[in-house]
Amino acid sequence: MNLPWRSIPLWLGALCLLAIGVAALAAPVLVGSDPLAMVARPYLWPGQNAAHWLGTDMLGRDLWSGLVYGARVSLRIGLEAGVCTALLGLAIGCLAGYFGGWVDNLLMRVTELFQIMPSLIFTLVLVIILGPRVDTLVLGIAATAWPNVARLARGEAQRLAGMEFVQAARVIGMSEARILWVHILPNALMPVLAMLAMLVGHAILTEAALAFLGLSDPNVVSWGSMIGAGRDVLRTAWYMTALPGLAIFFTVAALGLLGGALNDWLNPRRGGLQ
Amino acid sequence: MSADTYNLERRQFLRLLGVGAGAATLAGFLPSALADEVAGQASGQAIVKGGTLFANVTPEPAGLVAGINISSPAVVISSSIFDGLVTYDAQFRPQPQLAESWEEAADGKRITFHLRKGVKWHDGTPFTSADVQYSILNVVKKTHPRGASNLAKVTDVQIPDEHTVVFILSGPAPVLWATLFGTETQIVPKHLYEGTNPLTNPWNSKPVGTGAFKFKEWVRGSHVTLERNPDYWDAGKPYLDRIIFKMIPDAGARAVALESGEIQFAANNPVPESEVARLQQNPALQLDTTGWQVPAPMFFFDFNLRRKTFQDLRVRKAFAHAIDRQGLADIVWYGLADVAQSCVPSFQQQFFKPGLPQYDFDPKKAEQLLDEAGYPRGADGVRLRINHVTEVSYGQVYLRAAEYMRQQLKNIGVEMELINLELAAMIRRLFTDYDFDTVSQWYSAYPDPQIGVTRRFWSKNIKPGTPSSNNSGYSNPEMDRIIEGIQEEGDVAKRKLLIDQMQELVQTDVPSVNLLELKFFGFYSSKLQGLRKGPLLFYSSLADAWLEP
Repeated sequence: MNLPWRSIPLWLGALCLLAIGVAALAAPVLVGSDPLAMVARPYLWPGQNAAHWLGTDMLGRDLWSGLVYGARVSLRIGLEAGVCTALLGLAIGCLAGYFGGWVDNLLMRVTELFQIMPSLIFTLVLVIILGPRVDTLVLGIAATAWPNVARLARGEAQRLAGMEFVQAARVIGMSEARILWVHILPNALMPVLAMLAMLVGHAILTEAALAFLGLSDPNVVSWGSMIGAGRDVLRTAWYMTALPGLAIFFTVAALGLLGGALNDWLNPRRGGLQ
Repeated sequence: MSADTYNLERRQFLRLLGVGAGAATLAGFLPSALADEVAGQASGQAIVKGGTLFANVTPEPAGLVAGINISSPAVVISSSIFDGLVTYDAQFRPQPQLAESWEEAADGKRITFHLRKGVKWHDGTPFTSADVQYSILNVVKKTHPRGASNLAKVTDVQIPDEHTVVFILSGPAPVLWATLFGTETQIVPKHLYEGTNPLTNPWNSKPVGTGAFKFKEWVRGSHVTLERNPDYWDAGKPYLDRIIFKMIPDAGARAVALESGEIQFAANNPVPESEVARLQQNPALQLDTTGWQVPAPMFFFDFNLRRKTFQDLRVRKAFAHAIDRQGLADIVWYGLADVAQSCVPSFQQQFFKPGLPQYDFDPKKAEQLLDEAGYPRGADGVRLRINHVTEVSYGQVYLRAAEYMRQQLKNIGVEMELINLELAAMIRRLFTDYDFDTVSQWYSAYPDPQIGVTRRFWSKNIKPGTPSSNNSGYSNPEMDRIIEGIQEEGDVAKRKLLIDQMQELVQTDVPSVNLLELKFFGFYSSKLQGLRKGPLLFYSSLADAWLEP
């Protein structure tokens, strides 16, 4: 297994994410304790005031603080939703693919049920019912994104189930659960891991889309909530929307680069694993 | 509402009617006063007839009969389709509409309305006193959410002949005179509603009225078209051939449509508050911020008084001192609000009591009050952790307001967690489960405190499951006595004293922090003339409206 050390996209993506991650972790040191505090005159444009170099929003909250703290929430939602999606998809996909038969039939019909619903609308409904909070956003995003992962994992599990080492394990009397755990899951994990970066990016975008529609956790600042708040003043103060928009753009682009590189490396179909 | 004390004027006016009883003189006098007002606005220009007015309401209503679907978009459209018994002038004095004249018995127990003759419903059926009787007793009193209380004292409606309606009252009902306009006390055609459930009657979405415009079509998600009623009783009117109410769901698109002239009349807060200053500079557009003074939306901060913390007056006063209401009006509402000094709007000068105790923005005093109440700052600087419910669908401004107040309360050591809810979820939480600590919301005060204000404080209005009831759970025998006095008292001067007492008690007992008088706004094209300006502008018929070429 060789990491593609010379891959420029991998490095670019990783560095970009590292910078955002460090800023998020160091937020209290970088910008003080409360990004929601109203610290200056509202509607300060970027560059107008050195103390608030990215300007302030309509209530006088510092946008730089918002961006830095927003990274925490947006990345957290992205990661948590991404991991939840991957785990859920992996579990359902592996079970369906390995056991086949009526288990497969049942699980795949359920998967299709989720697939035929427009995912953003479904997420929207869930978040409206549960109320917009960080945990419900994670749940709402994960609950609709898993079918693709499940189908991928199912394919892998089906392939693995027929392979000799799995048959051998069965012959020596290994329990089904153990086979799933030690043989199927680790092997089906690789392509799903390669997908993870994309899932995180998707979750960050979905959070932003929901926030644009006014569904964000009002008690924390996220990039999405900043865009949602800025929407009303887009005509007069576009920078309030553009700045968090750029942050999302760079993060999702970095995740895309990283995900592409990881996919090349981890996906057995691309020959990286041999 | 201007400086006039409409009650006094109304009294004089009614006395005039009662004594003079010269219907001819009055009928001649009053419409001309109204005509002067309208003509005055047109500043001597010749009225241009014809043309189509493109208007907008937000959001799309569920039905078009305001007395049955009371949402404000329905009211805006309904006012041009249906006339009421009376309409109101710029000083909110009743003016003849379907009723040509009226007289009130000296004991206040009978009001006789003389109906206009020759008025026809849009389907050609003659309009008679039976329609009024049916509408009052079977529709307004039974299905309108405020109808039962507005008309509480109306025990019967008699119809001695086709053009006379007599309201029989159990006692004088001053509140009645603030509610007789067409969309609050709606007169619907008896021949189409009798024997049906008014709430589900199919005519609610293809209304048949008596007003200046006839309903033509409603394409859901697109527009409602009204056509000129050639048989309108006010000969020569309306001036416009057609009104098309377009539904434009996005606020940004509405702003563009206003700027491009695609819509020429947009009634209910069509653009975000932050856009108003920019649009106001456009000479092709006129802003109106007084046309909602009859509904009179009041924004306030309520406590769940079932919680022990808020049963302490010092805590409630601390909250009142902690919120910078002027900042809220200037920053969050962009100046489209005034600081509320009472639970009654200050522009209702016939009811408003000046000089009430006020709670200035004073965080130090707020902290001191919380110290005294036994809520010192903890090691993390927090005294209290509470939640706060906000409804999200009325617009972002309410979310910003909650965020603004959260930061100010944080300054005095109160951590307020915000909970944003959709309308249905909010109604369940606030009005059924009472699962909240604090909430900011607005209720319309309406032109008489008995309609919109007392419902916030009357213990008998703690009605689980009923939106806009007393959800804070405030229950004070003294307040109940005052409120019941307001409902019973027929003498305007004595009633005013009770209304004063209510305002005084609200300001000293602080069951709720009165924050702002909101100025709902509308935009219309500078070419649109003949609007019935005044506190009921957006709830008025467009019969006199015309477009400059």
